[in-house]
Amino acid sequence: MTDTHIALAHGNGGRLMRELIDEVFARCLDSPSLDTRVDAAPVPGPADDCELCVSTDGFTVQPLEYPGGDIGSLAVHGTVNDLAVSGATPTVLTVNAFVEEGLEIALLERLVHSMGQAARSAGVAIVAGDTKVLRRGEGGGVYFATTGLGVRARASDLGPHRIEAGDVLLISGPVGDHGAAVMLAREQFGLRGDVRSDAASVLGLTQALLDLDGLRFMRDPTRGGLATVVHEITATSRHGARLRETDIPVREPVSSVCEMLGYDPYYLACEGRVLAVLSPADADVALERWHAIPGGEQARKIGVTTTESPRVILETAIGGERYLEELEDDPLPRIC
Amino acid sequence: MKRDSGELALSYLERIRSLELRSRTKVMNVCGGHERTITQAGLRNVLPDGVELIPGPGCPVCICPEEDIYHAIQIARQPRVILAAFGDMLRVPVNAPKREPRSLEQAKAAGADVRPIASPLEAKRLATESPDRDVVFFAAGFETTMAPVAAMLAEGVPANLWLLLSGRLTWPAVAMLLESGRPGFDALIAPGHVATVMGPEEWEFVSRDHALPTAIAGFEPASLLAATYAVLRQLVDGECRLVNCYPQAVRNGGNARARQILTRCFDIVAADWRGIGTIPASGFALNDHFAAHDARARESWMTDPAARKRAGEMPPGCDCARVVLGRIYPNECQLYGRACTPRHPIGPCMVSDEGACRVWWAGGIRESVTTERPAAKAV
Ligand code: SF4
Repeated sequence: MTDTHIALAHGNGGRLMRELIDEVFARCLDSPSLDTRVDAAPVPGPADDCELCVSTDGFTVQPLEYPGGDIGSLAVHGTVNDLAVSGATPTVLTVNAFVEEGLEIALLERLVHSMGQAARSAGVAIVAGDTKVLRRGEGGGVYFATTGLGVRARASDLGPHRIEAGDVLLISGPVGDHGAAVMLAREQFGLRGDVRSDAASVLGLTQALLDLDGLRFMRDPTRGGLATVVHEITATSRHGARLRETDIPVREPVSSVCEMLGYDPYYLACEGRVLAVLSPADADVALERWHAIPGGEQARKIGVTTTESPRVILETAIGGERYLEELEDDPLPRIC
Repeated sequence: MKRDSGELALSYLERIRSLELRSRTKVMNVCGGHERTITQAGLRNVLPDGVELIPGPGCPVCICPEEDIYHAIQIARQPRVILAAFGDMLRVPVNAPKREPRSLEQAKAAGADVRPIASPLEAKRLATESPDRDVVFFAAGFETTMAPVAAMLAEGVPANLWLLLSGRLTWPAVAMLLESGRPGFDALIAPGHVATVMGPEEWEFVSRDHALPTAIAGFEPASLLAATYAVLRQLVDGECRLVNCYPQAVRNGGNARARQILTRCFDIVAADWRGIGTIPASGFALNDHFAAHDARARESWMTDPAARKRAGEMPPGCDCARVVLGRIYPNECQLYGRACTPRHPIGPCMVSDEGACRVWWAGGIRESVTTERPAAKAV
């Protein structure tokens, strides 16, 4: 591609747009099933015992690149993970890119490369896309929206309605890494630490549990973090939940950043973790399976559902208790 | 919490439980960070019944005078101004006439250029990046915040960077409580971050002049329990001194360089505290060297004294002053959880992450009590 920066004309449907699509998106995504000339992509129809699932999400994270990931891979992982936790195997993705006038094409290339890589390693094909160019000042460099299609067994019935008191809550790895990494990259806190986003596909983790009868519900704790997901579980299942602070894995650099800035790691986003609820009978098997696959080595049982009122109680390390409440607003950096 | 410090915490808890306390004991903390740890770790429900932990004047946002916030709002509405403030300052409401913005957040929504920042360096960067604008940094905070502000100033300030300084020293508020003759507490847990910067010596007066056991604590439950044990033990033994339970960070003399830079940039002056009044020698003010950057001195930005006075009136029913002084627990305020919630805060204590009301609400304490102490238990 000859240009070095995005111009408004790259969104005009003409030659420049063609170039942008072919030389950035088609080349960098490197997906054999992507035909940039068709408007609709055929999707293999499901067999009788399967159904199609669809999920869509928009991505506006700032900054565009941060330790451990970027908006390109995030746009794939976000939608892939939404399908994965609903029990589906993602097959195809579509991508919308909203690119701001003035964005450096070299940066866009890096992001789209990383998007392509993420898609390939999750085994999902990007089959269609659209590009719009926004006027300077109207977008944060680039926004992506992805829609994914997946297939799942018709018999699968996951959801909070299946949760019973006494079920076990499992988390696949340490929480808060993504939120802490993005926050550090965004603010000039003058802090440095080994904090990296955990962004990854969770497909392997979810598929490892799908054949367990006692699997009730899975969710990836993104915005609002672990606390928000467990809060949702109690609100929809009408059961209480008790978590044990000493069992919830939080990486040391993440907890020091949180301590310094006054954030609670349980409310910070993860982008590569799964929270699963299982019957006590199947929880141990699930944990063993997770421990055996990459990304699940640090999985833990973190708590149980109870017959108490539908609130989330955290049992603290010293034997105290506190409620984990819904987030009131975006956490603000503390002042001293 | 780290696992090994969890065990340490439990061992201090055992030691506290084995003490034979003769009467109800009230231990005050003066740091929003301490109150957060106490509430989040659920310390209150594991301590023996006779021990009360009381949040005191430990939130810089809560004690920042309404007049200063009103001033900041008025400056933000001036043409060509960018007003930068720490995030939790934006939502603090003041008493302003109808149709006028009552918080910096509302001023921002009405078109003022208000930027939430997290460090003083961001204010400087804003000024450097926008040479044609006046960037006004509304800097409210305790010693721990004023030290980085001073460091930023000492390195040289762009001509278009102004400061609306509302910095406070922590210990004078405690001194004022003690001298009031009715302190309302039997022992003190002194703030670890402040002592790291200013040195533990600042807190010696509490035990020396007022005969109250004092301990400096860090921010892990283990450190707070160590400090609680240290003061309770002294009460049992009839002793009274200052104990440093945060030796990893707090050294004699504090951070000499930070203190030196503070002295180079600021004078110590009498200052107003929201809901409390004027406390002598308790505020930081820009010294003559930085007079050209003092937003308070710029005539076209001065506010009408009558409007300032009105802004300074506390909303009816708001008990922030008594909460800040440790006279009542947050949920003893009539408005707690009813008219006043984080979504619709009436007082500053419900806004800031350091504010006792916000900390208690975030810790899940929903029931409000208007009876006598100790009615408050976290769960
Ligand atoms: S509940 Fe609201 S009004 Fe009452 S003391 Fe707390 S912040 Fe102030």
